[in-house]
Amino acid sequence: MRRVVAALGLVWALLNVVVASFFVSGAFTAHTAQKEGILAQLSLLLGGVAIEVLASFVAWQAWRLFRHRVSE
Amino acid sequence: MRVVAALLVVLGAAIAIAAGTVVASQTTSGVQPWGNELADNFVFAKALPFVAGLGVAFGLLGALLAGRARRTRHGHVRRFSRATVIGHWVITVGFLLALPTGVWQYLGGILDVNAPIPLYLFYRVHYIGAAIILFSVAYFLTYWWVTGHRSLLPPRGEWRHHLRNFAHELPPPVGHRVGRLLRLHLGGRPAEVGQFTYYETAFSFPTWAFALGLITITGLIKAMRYVIPVPGPVLYGASTLHVAAMVMLVLKVLDHLRYVFARWPLMVAMTTTWVTDGYARLHHPGWRHRGDESEAA
Repeated sequence: MRRVVAALGLVWALLNVVVASFFVSGAFTAHTAQKEGILAQLSLLLGGVAIEVLASFVAWQAWRLFRHRVSE
Repeated sequence: MRVVAALLVVLGAAIAIAAGTVVASQTTSGVQPWGNELADNFVFAKALPFVAGLGVAFGLLGALLAGRARRTRHGHVRRFSRATVIGHWVITVGFLLALPTGVWQYLGGILDVNAPIPLYLFYRVHYIGAAIILFSVAYFLTYWWVTGHRSLLPPRGEWRHHLRNFAHELPPPVGHRVGRLLRLHLGGRPAEVGQFTYYETAFSFPTWAFALGLITITGLIKAMRYVIPVPGPVLYGASTLHVAAMVMLVLKVLDHLRYVFARWPLMVAMTTTWVTDGYARLHHPGWRHRGDESEAA
């Protein structure tokens, strides 16, 4: 069960990395600048980076869980 | 009292089913000239009071059943009530439906792309997920109101104490920064961890409550816009804050997973309701020192 949960966690983390990359790339497109403005661009950039960082933490913890290196 | 609660649940379910039937018959009558997206929006908006009412009824039932459960069994202590565990997984299903579809609606607009699946289907799934989340919010609020459980929040007047110990639980460089930012006195030994860690009481649960409250209120405003007149600036503000709350929840889910993956027994507790006595004594000594009188949250 632990490994199934860890694998699902890894998938979730990877999906979030993809979402984060869209956030970050979306922050620099002309379309966003014209339609949403600088505040939205900044929000996308910060949100994307924060999602990326936390998703990498989740991936790391999921990997540790998969390898059974967690506190009992 | 339990009979009254059971009757209320049956009544709530009957009203919800009756309302669902009426809403469905109105939608499929062919009288309204709406497209799929607008028709779904109306179904969602009309169902909202009944979904919330059903959540209240089930929350009441959960609260009354929770009081009957044993708090300990050999070698284990109950961390969560069954009502909390059920509610947790119900709202998880809501998140799994509402968050990805919400993110897609937002990103589709930002990236200016269309999925091969019609957009109204994304909205439909989003509304189902949002209804489950609304049900869960009503369920938990009723459950906590009736049981009086407040163990996931710092007691009145103890916020600084919880924040100070939360800062102690963080990696030192981060904890010192948080302490300086919040003007906390970090000297001395940290207090013993109780039933819930200070991370959970001072940071995790309050931010869950804030993000869920924000997404629920703004979502309700957005959902009701075709039913009652909503001024443009209010709708714009609600839409912006809805997206902000969505990003907060994406971050909260990740932070939650990071935290519990490193503490597998807490994952087990959120399915079985129990943690082992050994784990509780080691990681929650303040809880176990109080004896077995602390109620499951």
